[in-house]
Amino acid sequence: MSSVDTIEEAVQLKRANFKQAAGHMDSLTRKQEQRETEGDVRVENPRLRCNDVNVYYGEKHAVMGVNLDIGRNEVIAMIGPSGCGKSTFLRCLNRMNDTIVGCRVTGQIFMDEQDINASGIDVVPLRATVGMVFQKPNPFPKSIWENVAFGPRIHGLAQNKAELEEMVVTSLQRAGLWEEVKDRLEQPGTGLSGGQQQRLCIARTIAVNPEVILMDEPCSALDPIATAVIEDLIDELRELYSIVIVTHSMQQAARVSQRTAYFHLGNLIEVGETTQIFTNPVHKLTEDYITGRFG
Amino acid sequence: MTNQNPRQDIAGADVMDSRRTFEIVRAGMKRRQSAEKRFRLYGLLAILLGLTFLSVLFVSIIGNGYTAFAQTYVKIPVYFDPAGIDPEGTRDPDTLNTADYSALVKASLREMFPAVTERGERRELYSIISTGAGFELRDSVLDDPALIGTRQDIWLVADDEIDMLMKGHVDRTVPELDRRVKDNQIAWVDQLNSEGRVEKRFNTNFFLAGDSRDPELAGIRGALVGSFYPLLLTLILSFPIGVAAAVYLEEFAPRNRLTDLIEVNINNLAAVPSIVFGLLGLAVFINFFGLPRSAPIVGAFVLTLMTLPTIIIASRVALKSVPPSIREAALGVGASPMQAMFYHVLPLAMPGMLTGTIIGMAQALGETAPLLMIGMVAFIVSIPGGIFDPATVLPVQIFLWADSPERGFVERTSAAIMVLLAFLILMNAIAVILRKRFERRW
Ligand SMILES: Nc1ncnc2c1ncn2[C@@H]1O[C@H](COP(=O)(O)OP(=O)(O)O)[C@@H](O)[C@H]1O
Ligand SMILES: [Mg+2]
Repeated sequence: MSSVDTIEEAVQLKRANFKQAAGHMDSLTRKQEQRETEGDVRVENPRLRCNDVNVYYGEKHAVMGVNLDIGRNEVIAMIGPSGCGKSTFLRCLNRMNDTIVGCRVTGQIFMDEQDINASGIDVVPLRATVGMVFQKPNPFPKSIWENVAFGPRIHGLAQNKAELEEMVVTSLQRAGLWEEVKDRLEQPGTGLSGGQQQRLCIARTIAVNPEVILMDEPCSALDPIATAVIEDLIDELRELYSIVIVTHSMQQAARVSQRTAYFHLGNLIEVGETTQIFTNPVHKLTEDYITGRFG
Repeated sequence: MTNQNPRQDIAGADVMDSRRTFEIVRAGMKRRQSAEKRFRLYGLLAILLGLTFLSVLFVSIIGNGYTAFAQTYVKIPVYFDPAGIDPEGTRDPDTLNTADYSALVKASLREMFPAVTERGERRELYSIISTGAGFELRDSVLDDPALIGTRQDIWLVADDEIDMLMKGHVDRTVPELDRRVKDNQIAWVDQLNSEGRVEKRFNTNFFLAGDSRDPELAGIRGALVGSFYPLLLTLILSFPIGVAAAVYLEEFAPRNRLTDLIEVNINNLAAVPSIVFGLLGLAVFINFFGLPRSAPIVGAFVLTLMTLPTIIIASRVALKSVPPSIREAALGVGASPMQAMFYHVLPLAMPGMLTGTIIGMAQALGETAPLLMIGMVAFIVSIPGGIFDPATVLPVQIFLWADSPERGFVERTSAAIMVLLAFLILMNAIAVILRKRFERRW
């Protein structure tokens, strides 16, 4: 019988494959050092300016020396393979990393000449200015109205009931949800569909009238139609806010953003105009990722 | 070596055949199914066994105790003799208060059974009626002095032995010497009974009176009130303290050696035998702070120490079970940690916290050992009027009665257990209702 031969051969082949794969992994992990960023990280009159931002989870160096400007009224997309530190970097911008035990952030992030990481800076006004939309829609288990009114209420933004009402309505309108929920404001926010919930979360974020909105893969839990609605919304919101969006979909980045930043193993590899990144990447790694050679 | 079948190029092609997998799985199905069935059967048996024990418990307690809710009364024509009660006719409350009313009962009994003349026999006659009957007559005279000089048919509490006789707990075939109820007493009661002068009525005494040496006069009101004060105080103390501690440890405390140590010790405290808390209470609250013995306030402090770990642990679990996304959402719009806590996390954790608290309170209600240590085991007749009055609690009352030799206390012990169980069931029902009400998992 020839099967024994076949098996032995196959096993050997597998071993070889495995070694090769291990070698590849090795090269991936070993080369985890800081790298220079290709492209222009600076813009004129930035909304946020990051200087040499590093993030450590205990010993792990998750984000390495990132320099990046977030412009006004622009959508900047962050792309890169999973685990490369996109979310971690995003969470630096409103100091959500503070809530993670063992997480340490160094470097400066300037907003209006003020380093938000400086000691003595309170996160409450910062987070009111830099809002966040999370990957999984997370409305409060309360009514739709309560969800949107929460921010203005805790910050004391409304002088009276009428003003609060107006804020809620405007936010829902801007989030493109008003028509769908105007008759059911007293119903639970968690009873909406996934896409509606995510727009409710966007409405909740814009109700405090922030300047920057951070979105961490806001469409990854949604179907294509709901995704398209949110993408249109992001494009409209650009007129009022700066938006930083993390996405694993390159098409989405191409559709909604003006600038794109490519992360790889904690490094910001390349930044540039979205069209340039997708048509004419400078760095080899960016090109490999864009063309789908890994990711 | 080339092969027609592409599958054959892969290692282990003949062991990795999907047809083969199907065969093997199908061959093993019978064994798996019977294992499944067996397992279900074990579960069912376990539940049946548990239910059996539970029903045995309930049947024996209720069977022993339900008779305690009825009490034998005897109707006797009492002549409120002015010469005995108020010889001077002043109607002075002090005089009325100190008069010998049991003499009236005895006189009536003598009148009813004129044939009984011998001293010992007379004593046996008198003991048909409870010694508490005199107090009952006194109270009605003090209420209405106009009774004096009149003759009234009055229902008086029978002695506990007679009560047992009427409830059929006395075996008449046993030789007289081995019985506490004598033949002549049985004859008198039978005679009274045939005249319609003996009746079993609802035992209001059991719920309205304090403890007594006489079973027919003993009630659980003192113990109920004595349980109520410490429990209320325990709730007032331990719920806010427990929740605050849990919130701080779970949401605000830094994670370091010290908080780890605190955490370990809270878990340890939950496992400390309750008698130790009693000793602690004795040493600290009574000996050091000089609080009174047997007082509900000390009981409350001890029970608070005991329930705190339960409440803290339950509250922390409840807080942990609130999804972190809710906190993130609140912090993300700029809520301070405290606002995130009070607006969103706490309301969601509340059902769990309340459940833990009620379970802790139910434990406290049934607790006996630590209260023995701080002297809440005393024989206390009066009903406590406040948190500093000497008191006894329901489970200790059960313990005391269970220890008494009189047959009348046997049924009262079971009846008191029934009351305690009723309260425990009530509390657990409240826990379920609260959880349902607060649980708004939208
Ligand atoms: N809470 C955490 N604790 C420890 N390591 C973390 C934590 N969050 C993320 N990391 C690590 O940091 C790296 C970057 O993660 P993340 O920013 O979530 O990547 P991305 O969003 O790009 O997929 C990953 O290697 C991940 O394992
Ligand atoms: Mg991520």
